Amino acid sequence: MGSSPAETRRISSARPRPSAAGREPETFREPETFREPETFRTAGPSGTSGISAITRASGTAGTGMLPVLPALRGLLPRGGLARGSVVTVAEFGVLALALLAAASAAGAWCGIAGIPEAGVLAAVGLGLDAERTLLVPDPGDAWPQVVASLIDGCELVLLRPPGRAPAQVRQRLEATLRRGRGVLLVAGDWPGAQVRLRVVTQGWTGLGDGHGRLRACAAEVVADGRGEAATTRTRWLWRPGEDGSVTVADPAGIPVADRPLADIPAAETVRRLRVVNAG
Amino acid sequence: MRARRPDALVPETPRIMVLRCPGLCDLAAPGPQAAELFEQVIAAVTGFCPQVEAVEPGVCAFGARGPARYFGGETALAGRVIAAVAELGLEARAGVADGLFAALLAARGAGRDPVLVIPPGRTAGFLARRPVSVLEDQDLAGLLTRLGLRTLGDLAALPAGDVAGRFGPAGETAHRLAGGRGSPPLVAAPPAEDLSVAREFDPPEPLAEPVVFAAKALAEQMHDGLAARGLTCVSVQIQATWADGRESRRLWRHDGLLSAAALAGRVRWQLDGWRVPADGTDTSDGGIAVLRLVPDQVILATGHQLALWGEAMVSDRVARAAMRVQAMLGHEAVLRPVPGGGRDFAERVTLVPFGEKTEPRLAAGPPWPGRVMGPAPGVVYPFAREADVTDEAGAAVTVTGRSVVSAAPAWLAIDRERPRRVTGWAGPWPLSERWWDPVAARRRARFQLLTDDGRAWLAAVQDGRWLIEAGYW
Repeated sequence: MGSSPAETRRISSARPRPSAAGREPETFREPETFREPETFRTAGPSGTSGISAITRASGTAGTGMLPVLPALRGLLPRGGLARGSVVTVAEFGVLALALLAAASAAGAWCGIAGIPEAGVLAAVGLGLDAERTLLVPDPGDAWPQVVASLIDGCELVLLRPPGRAPAQVRQRLEATLRRGRGVLLVAGDWPGAQVRLRVVTQGWTGLGDGHGRLRACAAEVVADGRGEAATTRTRWLWRPGEDGSVTVADPAGIPVADRPLADIPAAETVRRLRVVNAG
Repeated sequence: MRARRPDALVPETPRIMVLRCPGLCDLAAPGPQAAELFEQVIAAVTGFCPQVEAVEPGVCAFGARGPARYFGGETALAGRVIAAVAELGLEARAGVADGLFAALLAARGAGRDPVLVIPPGRTAGFLARRPVSVLEDQDLAGLLTRLGLRTLGDLAALPAGDVAGRFGPAGETAHRLAGGRGSPPLVAAPPAEDLSVAREFDPPEPLAEPVVFAAKALAEQMHDGLAARGLTCVSVQIQATWADGRESRRLWRHDGLLSAAALAGRVRWQLDGWRVPADGTDTSDGGIAVLRLVPDQVILATGHQLALWGEAMVSDRVARAAMRVQAMLGHEAVLRPVPGGGRDFAERVTLVPFGEKTEPRLAAGPPWPGRVMGPAPGVVYPFAREADVTDEAGAAVTVTGRSVVSAAPAWLAIDRERPRRVTGWAGPWPLSERWWDPVAARRRARFQLLTDDGRAWLAAVQDGRWLIEAGYW
């Protein structure tokens, strides 16, 4: 179905591999771009030599983006996660996992630090590749060093800091991030984040009083931030939808119990949309 | 007809000889005298084969293939070993089979003729006729008997996935053994000699680089020492002594062979980890005085090793990052999730320490009735949170054995948080698990609850208590 030149190249493995300079951005599907010789002596203590090699190989220096699920594109400036940036989600949940999914499915390694209750099955349902996921459930007081190490190894790191991160720690991690061209997703607050996302309203369908089961959740997500993300964007999402995926919801089409639509039984409507995060 | 087929590359099942001295193993509590005698038995057997392992009091085992070739066949070898032990005034029985488990049974089953040799390839047939009571796990054996599985053959005939799903890892092991497969390689433990290697730095070395460089040479030296004895190790302890007398040690475990370069890398991360104090300040530790590598889990080198990472896809870059974190926080601190089977959202993901084989604890294959339907929760608590669920009148909501709810849930209070108003609920969905295992068996009734803050929860009532297992947001 209308394969782009980049896809054609990827599939026809018989042909010689295109030179690094000729690669399209975001060709990190190619596992080869991750490989580097096992040379312990050349890698400095910070171990960043590998990343710069990848950045060079994938030709993403300057404009690199990590992809997100189609439903989330509208919330992010330029429709993806800008390499080297920090993106926050007000609270850990499906939305944070959904932000990892597309990049992971496309071949990126993801690290999840400080979130022992991360629902891996939900994330896998959204597209996260468990084989390329590292979990550090309890980084403890050493979390800045842990996150710095993870950033060296993974394109995408989801972190819930144990408390408010001191400015000095934040700046050091942001510098590591810019060098490594990865993306830091923070569940919580991170002053200076390029993009901030939060769920402001949510409601579930499928559950009644003693009957039914949870089916889908409609959520209103608001994004703002700095620079090109300064404009506030609002999107309604099924998070998740009935099949466990995250898709764009049409606010007019969300069956709300307060405004019942004629043909929909009460249990099928969203029960009481609630403001969860007005801040 | 014994043409060389491609599968001849598969390593052959080791021929194991087990020597059993009934006089030493039938004692209820072997005293020092028995232990001393047994030492003499092992010393005598060592004359035939240098790698002898004590299995249990009065029973030892060794690889029979090499010595049998030298002494003119397995039966002849067994006869000589028994004669050598007889000189100590002890009666002995010997069994030879493919794998340790079958050889142990053969030695136990040797009757009037003190030697029972199960010819190569016949082990499965020999095992099939044994009762399940020969399994070490007597609880499992009792259960299998009650289910009508009386012989190892009955057990082996079941599909492996079903057995694993039903009886867990213990069942899986029993199934492997019953089929004559997968006896663990003989462990030469404890190693008779010190196989560790060490390097002293005088004056102490303050820089990491020269220590890492020395570590690579040390690792090669250690591997050479092991290889000369036909051994390899799956885990290594790295011990570093600092000039100020502090000692740091960390055990590095791995499925595959830890190459010298990989070991040197681990030394580097370990040193890095120790050099970063938690408070971020610089400390002068005076440098490394002694670096020691201690092979920990020593196994017989079988000639086939798994890939370094169990699978090829972990790049060096990721491995470096993961191991640096492991050096800081410990081996178990970096985990890889492996989706598998099970009924709980928590048990459906097995967390495997980075560097170990990624295998789910429960097979995904068999159907798992009782699973909660619908979308998977984004928040799955590793330990269910205690909660109070009360009705409109403030009374605790209870569930009877017949799944009748005392009243509609009206309030949910988790841990000591502010109670939340319940705006929707469904359940109970009863779930009875592992009914065959009195220890692991549990009966739960599950609910989904919706609260006025727009959140949805997966709750369970177990033994009269409400537990929050997961959150949907």
